[in-house]
Amino acid sequence: MNTTRSLSPRARWAVPAVVAGAVAAAFAVPATVGAVASDDLPAVTADELVDRVANAEPVPVSGTVVYTARLGLPDVTVSELQGAGPLDLLGGSTTMRVWSDGEDSSRAALLGDVSEYSVVRSGAEAWTYSSADDEAVHYVLDPADQERYDELAQQALEPDVEGDVPTPSELADVALAQARISTDVETTDPVEVAGRAAYQVELTPQTDATLVDRIRVAVDAETWLPLRTQVWSVQDAEAPALEVGFTDVSFDVPEASVFEFSAPAGAEVREVVVPLPEPGTMEKPSSSALGEDADVAVSGTGWETVVEVSEVDVEAILGATAEGRLPEGSTGSSGADDLFEEFTDAEEGELPGVPELDTQALYEQLATPVDGGRLLTSALLTVLVTDDGRVLAGAVPPATLEELAG
Amino acid sequence: MSLAEAPVAETPAAPARATARLLRSELRLVFGRVRNIVLLAGLAAVPLLIGTVLFITQDTPVAGQGPPFLDRVTGNGVFLVFAALVSCLPFLLPLCVSIVSGDAIAGEAGAGTLRYLLVVPVPRTRLLLVKAFAALAYAGAAVAAIAVVGLVAGAAFFGVGDVVLLSGDTIPLAEGMVRTLGVVAYVIASLTGLVAVGLFLSTLTEVPVAAMASTVVVAIVSGVLDALPQLSAIHPGLLTHHWLDFGEFLRLEIDASTLLAGLAVQAAWVAIFGALAWSRFTTADVSS
Repeated sequence: MNTTRSLSPRARWAVPAVVAGAVAAAFAVPATVGAVASDDLPAVTADELVDRVANAEPVPVSGTVVYTARLGLPDVTVSELQGAGPLDLLGGSTTMRVWSDGEDSSRAALLGDVSEYSVVRSGAEAWTYSSADDEAVHYVLDPADQERYDELAQQALEPDVEGDVPTPSELADVALAQARISTDVETTDPVEVAGRAAYQVELTPQTDATLVDRIRVAVDAETWLPLRTQVWSVQDAEAPALEVGFTDVSFDVPEASVFEFSAPAGAEVREVVVPLPEPGTMEKPSSSALGEDADVAVSGTGWETVVEVSEVDVEAILGATAEGRLPEGSTGSSGADDLFEEFTDAEEGELPGVPELDTQALYEQLATPVDGGRLLTSALLTVLVTDDGRVLAGAVPPATLEELAG
Repeated sequence: MSLAEAPVAETPAAPARATARLLRSELRLVFGRVRNIVLLAGLAAVPLLIGTVLFITQDTPVAGQGPPFLDRVTGNGVFLVFAALVSCLPFLLPLCVSIVSGDAIAGEAGAGTLRYLLVVPVPRTRLLLVKAFAALAYAGAAVAAIAVVGLVAGAAFFGVGDVVLLSGDTIPLAEGMVRTLGVVAYVIASLTGLVAVGLFLSTLTEVPVAAMASTVVVAIVSGVLDALPQLSAIHPGLLTHHWLDFGEFLRLEIDASTLLAGLAVQAAWVAIFGALAWSRFTTADVSS
C-alpha cells in the first residue's frame, strides 16, 4: 500500500503503457515460437514425395481447416442472414471442422456465427444438415446399387453429395493427379503447418494456356497426409486464389458417435437416391444430373482440359433448384394460401422479408452475357454456357472456350 | 495479551472489514437504484416478449423466420434463452452495462459524493476494484435475468426437451442445461472488457451521462468496424468480435481454443483499460 502510494503520477501513467506492451507481446509471441524442427527432415525428391502421398495408408484425422477463396467472383454470400452453407465457399474465408476415420466415414462442418452446415458420410450413405434452415438431406443408394456397393466396398467409392466440402487432401489429390503430365514438380524447403513438420511440393504447369500459375501442397512428414494446398492463379502472383489448410490437426481416431447421424426431431428431411456410377465412368459427370440427353466430350489434355457438355437444359436446372417456395397448404386453408400468394410474388413464392437465394438471379449476376451465350469467369475456372445448350468449362482463359464453342 | 499486540493483529483485518462494508454498500447502491432495476426488468422482459409473440404466431406463415434460434423456440423452450441473448447482445446488453459502469465513478463525482467516499479508510485502488466488481455483478445479473426468464417463459410456453445442436445432433436435456450455463458464463465474461472501458471513461469526467454515452459508442463502433470486411486484419482484436462465439457451446465438439481466444481478447481489454482507469483514478485531484 505504501509502495503504491509513493509512486509518482508519471510512474503511475507508465503502468498502462507497460500493460499494453505486455498484452501485445502475449498475443504476438505464440505466433512466432513453438516452431517445430522442420529443418531436420530427411530430404526427399519430388517424385518420391508424390509417390508417398499417392500410396499413403489413409489415417484417421480430425481438426480445423480454414478455406480461403479469392476467385474474383461477385460477393453473393449473406451468411449473417442465411447461416453457414456451401455458398460461403465462393469467396472469403471459411472455417471448417473435419473428422475422418481414414476409412469410409467422414464428417465436415462449415462454421458460421451461431450456425453450421454439416456433411456426414458413413459408407454409402450421406447426410447434409443446415442449422439455419433446419433441413436435413439424406443421400442413399437404391437397393440394387447398395448391393453392388457392398461388393465393391474395398474400393474407395463415395456417394456424390451435393454441396460437398473441400478438404486439403481432396484438393491436393486433384493437383497431384496432374503431377505426371506436363507439369514441373519440385520440392521447396520444408514448412510448418498446424504445428506439424511438412514437406512441400510445388507443381508448375508447363503450358501457358491455363489459368493455374502454380500449386503448392504441404504434406505431413509422418503420415504423408496433405495438410495444406494453395493454388495461385496467373492473375495474381501474390495471394493464392484458393487455399485450404489445417490450422489444427490431430491423428487420433475420432469417436464413432461423430459419424452417426440421424435427422433431428422437427427437421425437414429430404431423401435423395443417388445412382452409383458404373465402373469406368467415374470421371464423367453423371449425365442424369444435367439433363436427359446430355452428352459429355473432353478436349485438350492436362492443364488445358476443357469439358464440353451438350444438350444441357440450363433453365430446367436453375428452376429445379430454386428454393423458398411456400409449401402447399402451409397456412392451413386453401383460401389463406391463395390470399398469401396474392400478396407475395406468385412467381417466386418467397416469403416476404427473407433473403432466400434465387438461383436464376445468382446465375445472371455471376455470368456475363457474351456473343452467343453467357460467360462465367473466375481466377481459376472459366465456364461458357452457349445459347444452343452447350456448357464448356476448364481452367483456361475465356478466349479458348469461345474459340472451341465456335 | 499485551497492549502492543492488539493493533498488530487488527491492522490487516480493519481494511478488509472496511472493504467488505464498502462492497456491500456499493452493491446496495447499484442494485437499489430505481433506474438500474427498471433496466434489469426491461432486459428480463425481452425473452417474455419474444416468447409471447412466437406463441401467438406459431401457426401462421411467418413462423420459423428471423434471427438465429428463433425458429427453434416453438419446438423447444430452451432455445428462447439463446434467441433472447442473440437479440440483446448487439445493443441492449451493452447499453445496460455502459450505463452502470459509466456511472460508477462519474456518478459519484457528479453528485459530489466522491470526496466523502475517499474519506473511507480504503485505498483508491481497492475502491476502484469495488466499483468494477459491482458493475460486473450487475452485468452478470442482467445476463442471468435474460437466461432465467427465457428458460421459465420458454418452458411455460413451449415445454423443454432434448436439445438439437447446430450440427444436427441431439443431446439430452441435462447436458443441454450444462451447455446453457456455459453460454451464460461466456456471455458474462464477454462483457468484462466493456465494463473496464466504461470504468476508465467514468474516471475521466464528472458528467456521468458523458461516460455512459461514450461507453455505448465504443461498443457500437466496435460492432460497425467488425462489419467492414476491409478491416478484417483487426477484427480478431475487437471488443465485440467474439461475442457470438458462444455458439461454440452448441456444436458437436466444443473447441476450447475458440472460447479461449474470445476470453483472451476480453482479458486484454480488461488489462489495458483497467490499468488506464487505475492510473487516472489514483492520480486525479478529487475536488467534488
